[in-house]
Amino acid sequence: MHFQFNDITYTLGFSQSRQITVSGSVASGNILVVHGYSGSGKSTLLRILARLHPCEGGEAYLEGKSWLHIPATIWRASVHYLAQKPVLFEGSVASNLFKPFETRLLSKKRPAPEAARGYMKKLLLKESLWEQDARTLSGGEAARLAFIRALLIDPKVMLLDEPPAALDEESRRALHLALSQWLEGPSRAAIMVTHNDDYEGLRRVSFLDLGKQQRG
Amino acid sequence: MENTTIPISNFQLAFTVILVLITGGISSFLKLGLLKPLIWGTIRTFVQLTLVGYALTYIFQFNNLLLVIAIVTLMCYIASKTAVKRTPNVFNYPAMLAFASLLASTFLVGSIVTVLIIAPEPWYSARIVIPIFGMILGNAMNGIAISLDRLYSEVRSGSALIEAMLTFGATPWEAVQASVREAVRAGMTPTINSLMVVGLVSLPGMMTGQILSGADPRDAVRYQIVVMLMISAAVAIGCLILVGLSYKRLFTRDGALQQSILQSRGDTQ
Repeated sequence: MHFQFNDITYTLGFSQSRQITVSGSVASGNILVVHGYSGSGKSTLLRILARLHPCEGGEAYLEGKSWLHIPATIWRASVHYLAQKPVLFEGSVASNLFKPFETRLLSKKRPAPEAARGYMKKLLLKESLWEQDARTLSGGEAARLAFIRALLIDPKVMLLDEPPAALDEESRRALHLALSQWLEGPSRAAIMVTHNDDYEGLRRVSFLDLGKQQRG
Repeated sequence: MENTTIPISNFQLAFTVILVLITGGISSFLKLGLLKPLIWGTIRTFVQLTLVGYALTYIFQFNNLLLVIAIVTLMCYIASKTAVKRTPNVFNYPAMLAFASLLASTFLVGSIVTVLIIAPEPWYSARIVIPIFGMILGNAMNGIAISLDRLYSEVRSGSALIEAMLTFGATPWEAVQASVREAVRAGMTPTINSLMVVGLVSLPGMMTGQILSGADPRDAVRYQIVVMLMISAAVAIGCLILVGLSYKRLFTRDGALQQSILQSRGDTQ
């Protein structure tokens, strides 16, 4: 299995806290969609899988290798978490797209500007945005910028925390298309948290219902 | 030039009551509620300084290297306790880290000044070392308090950016670069600014003291130059060491941001 997590255990809430244990897996080229009502711990699960949040038990495996044996920095760049609220750094759109490659780990993976421009076109972002201050983008543009940045990092697993939330239907379809095309490459998978049931353009989707798992 | 201080007799000192009455008068006239702290503060000023005067006389006569080191270390300890209390954005910060950074910066810069620049005989002469180290410490203490507080507030407000950096495979150090830079800058700025206006807006206390005690102003100025530059160096080193020792506390052992930092942001579920 490309990516797998077994008995990930975590506690939600402070006063009326409850413990959740969840397992799942996703094969190469596939998308695992995580369902569950608001507050069921979907975001937290993604953050745990990205090793941004502590968990009380369980283990995750990337290409059969446990996260206990992969350094956190390498894990986080390989199992890349894309936050629900797009994170933009000071500077232009272009500098935001190449921000990840300022880290030592990714400095040698720096893609060509053409790759970034190609993705921008695919995600229906105007060429003229390239030099623009990223903090002046609209919510929908910012979400697509963050998504392109994730594509450029080219992780092995992309963890998407409600990517279409800020998008209109046209851009959402463009995002689904770009995601599907990306998934066709070797050794790639995605786990996606979503509220709406729009999977148009996505193939090979399987589901994980957090609401059900925790009741059982 | 007459090279002596004009002494203040007990009788003359008693006239300071006039000054206390002025301050107290304003406080009660405006109902500031500062009368009690003013009286208590006045008494403490008299008692503390009188005791320090006797203690310093004794220490200067004794002039023992180990005693001097012990006193400076104690001063560092008190300063570190004070520094960590002045940080509204930081909770439960171990004073030991502040102590370590103050100790290192004060001893390093203080030794350069006393051994190389002023070079008294002997080099650990308490009359030179204690006031010099005290001035360094007082300023370094303020600098590290500002730095530490700024580090935490920057990381809290920029936690989304720091987490994003982590998802790019950044190490904790790479992820907090921007915050670290801001924190050290914030700690150093007041001293750098004071380099610009020194002597124009006010005469620094040490220089004033030397001039009052009859020193040639041109000599006093040379001392003041040394003091200003040593303070900037000590603040810079102190802030850098403290931030270097502190940033790891913001992360878990797995190198993720501490949940306590994120929860104060209030948007994780």
